[in-house]
Amino acid sequence: MFRFLSKVWTNFREYIALVLLILLSLIILSQNKNPNVQKVRAIAFGSFATITSVISDIFSVTNLKRENEELRETNAKLMLQISRLREFGIVNKELKDLLAFKDTTGFPLIPASIVSRSLSMTQNTITLNAGKKDSVLPGMPVINDKGFIGIVSSVSENFSIARTLNNVDLRLTVIDERSRINGILKWTGEELIIINIPNTFDVEAGDRIITSDVSSIVPIPIPVGIVEEFSPGETGVFSYIRVKPFADLTPVENVFILAKVKSKQIDNLEFNFYRQQ
Amino acid sequence: MKWKLITPFITFFAVLLVQITVIPLIAIAGVIPDLVLITLVYYSISRDQFYGTVLGASYGFFIDLITGSLLGSSMLSKTIAGFTAGYFSTETKKEINISTYIFSLIVFICALIDSIIFSFFSAFDVQTNIFKLLFGQALLPSLYTAIVSILFIFSPFKRRKF
Repeated sequence: MFRFLSKVWTNFREYIALVLLILLSLIILSQNKNPNVQKVRAIAFGSFATITSVISDIFSVTNLKRENEELRETNAKLMLQISRLREFGIVNKELKDLLAFKDTTGFPLIPASIVSRSLSMTQNTITLNAGKKDSVLPGMPVINDKGFIGIVSSVSENFSIARTLNNVDLRLTVIDERSRINGILKWTGEELIIINIPNTFDVEAGDRIITSDVSSIVPIPIPVGIVEEFSPGETGVFSYIRVKPFADLTPVENVFILAKVKSKQIDNLEFNFYRQQ
Repeated sequence: MKWKLITPFITFFAVLLVQITVIPLIAIAGVIPDLVLITLVYYSISRDQFYGTVLGASYGFFIDLITGSLLGSSMLSKTIAGFTAGYFSTETKKEINISTYIFSLIVFICALIDSIIFSFFSAFDVQTNIFKLLFGQALLPSLYTAIVSILFIFSPFKRRKF
């Protein structure tokens, strides 16, 4: 028996290894949400990111001059915008006080730099040099001055991984700022589209898309992109809406993590509501 | 013997470091070459098919862990890519397969297989246009990887004895 097995192994070991490793891969694929697997992943990417951050720093120094100029320009534009918004803010506060509304602005931002990027066009992720130590939690939105970048998916002590808009696993509830129509934004591997919006709904090319209040992951409206193309879909019922993101993910080096995950209280209320149904 | 086992992993971590920090800077329309795959093909040809298969699985597993992609997806695609590369590991043709342009052709075939499987597991859904998916996420990255692998043919370190 042993000789037979030994003979089989000698003659077919490549195929046996292939089948066993494919099976192992499939088992691992099914264990992605396992908390223990997430822990191992956090340790692995945390350790590796320590090294990549050094190399990333060297390369980012070369881009500092260009980035400085861009920041100066953005600063000037923002200064003008702020003076306008300040006036609106005063009026807004007065009106809110009159209506006794709670103030929902003023979210803390955690600054972070991108230390590495993933290999894949479909599963685009970025590794950030901010982690648990900086109070980063999974689910926090990642933004820059242009708009929405992604969502933190894993966190280690000093680093975190965020899924960007160019990741097929990230589906975001967004809203058309003009017509207030909600939809789901997703990355197909080549383009950002909004799905499940009927042809008859009022969406036009040029509309601004922001994250929706009903989103289960992003608590406040953040600019996402602009509708680049709107046409009737091939299926005849739902439209084809292509979105161009405000934030170009390729040159981004510095980002902010919005230190806010959706309120647990809201989650619990929603959970209880659905349980009663 | 120990050194022979460790070298592919030291090389892997060095290559992965370059892959995730430097290579995005040479992306063309979001398409980047896969240096890890070139390394895998080199070791698969220079050793044997069994080694290539196991090494592919290990490389893929570490990539999934470190880059945050769907755990198991790269492992599966790289296992099959390593297995395929191992087919070109015949004793008489090892040298030719590594030192000539045939190497780029092998890299192209393996990269295509790797990308197709990876895309299928990571991006495929019923609404996806399969031809667009194959073109954008398999064919173009594979071509870019194959072109970059030409540089490897002229590099001095691959001339070592296997």
